[in-house]
Amino acid sequence: MMLEDELTVSTRERDGVAIIDLFGDVTTFAEEKINGAYREVTNKGARFVLLNFRQNDYINSAGIAILIGIVTEVNRNNQKLAVSGLSQHFQKIFRMVGLAQYAEIYQDEEEALAGFRRLAAA
Amino acid sequence: MSDDTTRREPVEKVIELRLPSKLGYERVAMDTASSLARRMGFHADRVESLKTAISEAVTNAIEHGNQHDAAMKVVVLLTARADELIVHVADQGRKQLDQECTTPEPKIEDAFEREDKGGWGIWLIRELMDEVEFTTAPSGGNQVRMVIHLEQ
Amino acid sequence: MSTPSPTQMSMELTLPSELGYEVIARDAVAAFARRLGISPDRLEDLKTALSEACINAIEHGNLLKPGLRVQIFCRFEEEQLIIEVVDQGVNAFAPKGEPLSITEKIAGLGSLRGMGLMLISQLCDEAGFVPRHGTGNCFRFAFYRRPTPALQR
Repeated sequence: MMLEDELTVSTRERDGVAIIDLFGDVTTFAEEKINGAYREVTNKGARFVLLNFRQNDYINSAGIAILIGIVTEVNRNNQKLAVSGLSQHFQKIFRMVGLAQYAEIYQDEEEALAGFRRLAAA
Repeated sequence: MSDDTTRREPVEKVIELRLPSKLGYERVAMDTASSLARRMGFHADRVESLKTAISEAVTNAIEHGNQHDAAMKVVVLLTARADELIVHVADQGRKQLDQECTTPEPKIEDAFEREDKGGWGIWLIRELMDEVEFTTAPSGGNQVRMVIHLEQ
Repeated sequence: MSTPSPTQMSMELTLPSELGYEVIARDAVAAFARRLGISPDRLEDLKTALSEACINAIEHGNLLKPGLRVQIFCRFEEEQLIIEVVDQGVNAFAPKGEPLSITEKIAGLGSLRGMGLMLISQLCDEAGFVPRHGTGNCFRFAFYRRPTPALQR
């Protein structure tokens, strides 16, 4: 049993949005998985990327650094990034760190997809 | 081992935890502190803040202070008072913490330009806790003392 | 230098010897056990066993005297999570010399001090008092990471 392996990452597409589902802990051990998933959807030409957090009761500063790395790439590649499914606590942390200025924060996946639709129509 | 505790705070209720310096074991400190804080009557959002702050402090101790040497211990003391919870996190000081690192003001825009996007841990601790102080532990290692107040 | 490996992981927890603190101990030890890959249903057994062991230490070993401590040592070796609960031995009840057999423990000590030890013996893979240098009773119990078929319920 891999004890560090407490994150499951998968990707899917809905309404033209590349969704990266993140189940579990986002810590230093998450780096390869998250970066790999992001590279995968980017190579497929994703313009809209949603990081869909699910049951993440542990995100730490190492995890935040990984997400800042994703934002850096998203800006470079002219994509749009949003996040959904974060607990109130981690929404607060994302705002404190400044991630909220670069990634729209939505309560859930449906709300995020509606947000992307408005963006695509504009 | 409990000598430290009794010497420092003889009359108070102290929980002492000694953890291996391996990433992931900060979860033990988080769950222990959260268990205590909930029973002290802290609101759920304050408990979450406490967990994040402890996670950062223990992670720092594992990575920097003890340089990932699993045989070295991270010592966490939880002192419950009527109106506050005091947390000490100490490492064995294989590497001393640079005092300049204890008051960081990281900016996300700077992080975009840097290869290393990290450096948020101590800043988060300061943002989330009511009192934060970096000192040297009796053992000679790095120590952070954090206090969270129980609001009415 | 030592290589970080889950086979040599250990932690220690020291608590005020006061009823109520066993609940904190449960959460701490459960978090440690979870990291070692103990299955969720075994975790529940572990939490119950640990509470009972702590209550015994507080009530019978330390006789509810204020200002005392209870120590909990956890280590993982040879696929077993071994937990020792040590009190300050105000009332020395640990058997001297050879540890008792499982049967004796369950029969003898179980009836002697109520249901707590009985329950622990049934929940974990091994349990019993062990001799200890210095003062204090030391109660040791173990959970195998993968229980043997006979022990599976």
